[in-house]
Amino acid sequence: MTLPPWSARGLGVLVAGLALLSMWSIDLLDLSRVWPAASNLAEFAGSLIPPDLDVVPTLLDGMLETLRIAFVGTLLGLVISLPLAFLGTRTLFSPVITTPTRLFVGAIRTVPSLLWGIVFVVAYGLGPAAGALGVALYTVGYLAKLYYESFEGVDPEVMEAVRSTGASRPQLVRYVVLPESANAIMSQLLFMFEYNIRASAIMGFVGAGGIGFYMLGYLQLLQYEKLMTALLMTFTVVMAVDYLSARVRAILPGMERPAKRAPLTAAITTLR
Amino acid sequence: MVAEPSLQTIPARRPRHIEDQALRIEARNVWFSYDGKSNVLKDVSLRVPTVGMTMLLGRSGSGKTTLLKLFKGLLEPQSGCVLPGLAFSANGSGAAGIAYIPQTLGLVRSLTALDNVLMGAFKRTGVVRSLAGSFCREATSEAKEILGRLGIAHKMDERVQRLSGGERQRVAIGRALMQKPSLILADEFVSQIDAITAEEILEMMSGIATRGTAILVTTHETDVVAEYADRLVVMSGMGTIVHESLAGSLSEREIKELLR
Repeated sequence: MTLPPWSARGLGVLVAGLALLSMWSIDLLDLSRVWPAASNLAEFAGSLIPPDLDVVPTLLDGMLETLRIAFVGTLLGLVISLPLAFLGTRTLFSPVITTPTRLFVGAIRTVPSLLWGIVFVVAYGLGPAAGALGVALYTVGYLAKLYYESFEGVDPEVMEAVRSTGASRPQLVRYVVLPESANAIMSQLLFMFEYNIRASAIMGFVGAGGIGFYMLGYLQLLQYEKLMTALLMTFTVVMAVDYLSARVRAILPGMERPAKRAPLTAAITTLR
Repeated sequence: MVAEPSLQTIPARRPRHIEDQALRIEARNVWFSYDGKSNVLKDVSLRVPTVGMTMLLGRSGSGKTTLLKLFKGLLEPQSGCVLPGLAFSANGSGAAGIAYIPQTLGLVRSLTALDNVLMGAFKRTGVVRSLAGSFCREATSEAKEILGRLGIAHKMDERVQRLSGGERQRVAIGRALMQKPSLILADEFVSQIDAITAEEILEMMSGIATRGTAILVTTHETDVVAEYADRLVVMSGMGTIVHESLAGSLSEREIKELLR
């Protein structure tokens, strides 16, 4: 649909006005604070360099723990997400089942990962187990939503044709929904793993293990060169996982079929 | 034991006079609307006999697909009824003995041709067994045999997405045959493939029809009627049936006139 020029212009003015109003209301237009902020940022950036490489062996342990938290959390999240996603798929179940399922998934998604970390630190005690459980639950909130949306994207004519052979609901899932969504399932899972590495990296802030524990310590002790090393390490690992996930997607069977909607784009949009 | 001939080699023995008028299925005074306002089908009655290929002609939007879905039981008429005929006993009653092939074929593109054909055996295979991907040996060998008869045994392990349009049509026919149907409903079956492949597929369907499985095909292509149809039904753009006869009773020009 194309908007007429006058309404497109009106919409532009409205958005710009709302943006200015919002910036003003959160003190972003207070010019007296801009210069000191820029100066502080420059000072902070300067203190990050050069990174202190002496802490690399210590941080490697933390990074490995972060990876383990992300890995276990993502897998646990996947195991819980899949059945929830099936129950939330409107082409498989009636609204009596899909609506409460979607509400439940939405409620899980409302809570930030760090808060889930705190919940499990309280319930499970300090350490990476609490982090993994926090990440798992956070994963469920997003992955279940992304999956039921992908499942609903399966061609309804295929569903109808296979259903007409007398296929039961589990057979539909096994022979239509899963194979036709394999690309999306894998892409979103890999994306979630990459995202969870970043989420796990700050789990240490609340005592739930990983490299975040060290990051918090360096922040509190103003040891920014060491913090920079931790950030660089996290960045490197995230980039490596991103590269590896692209390679995995390329070699997995059935991945050559172009998805109806780009799953990665959908995932990013949803997570934002 | 004499080997079953390939479907491709069976000559089209199309009875010009259908004596067996036993009914496979019947729609009686059916009315249907998707939105509750405009009727897609208006007082449609159609009897599908137990033998031969019936071609249902009509322009796009005339309600052909809707009528097929009603026969299969995928839709319920607002008024009127769909009744299984007296001869409907070969493989269960009602929609159970009807195989449906949608216009887009409804194949699972990421699975192999064999997997897709095996889906026709869902009703005969236990749910747990099929979920484990282990269909009984009988079903598997039957699926392979069907693919062989359809001339694509060598493609059974290929994913559907890698098959040509004609090969996909054969896989869809294979899945339908695997259901051991008394009636196959095929929607706009050859409208998206080239003329030569379309002829091969229709020849094949004609062969199936002569072997005791009734076939109801919707199409908007008038040129295929004379050669392959045993019965001809014409629908108007208003959702009504305007002509019903043995094929050959109307010329292509007359059919086109009816479609206008």
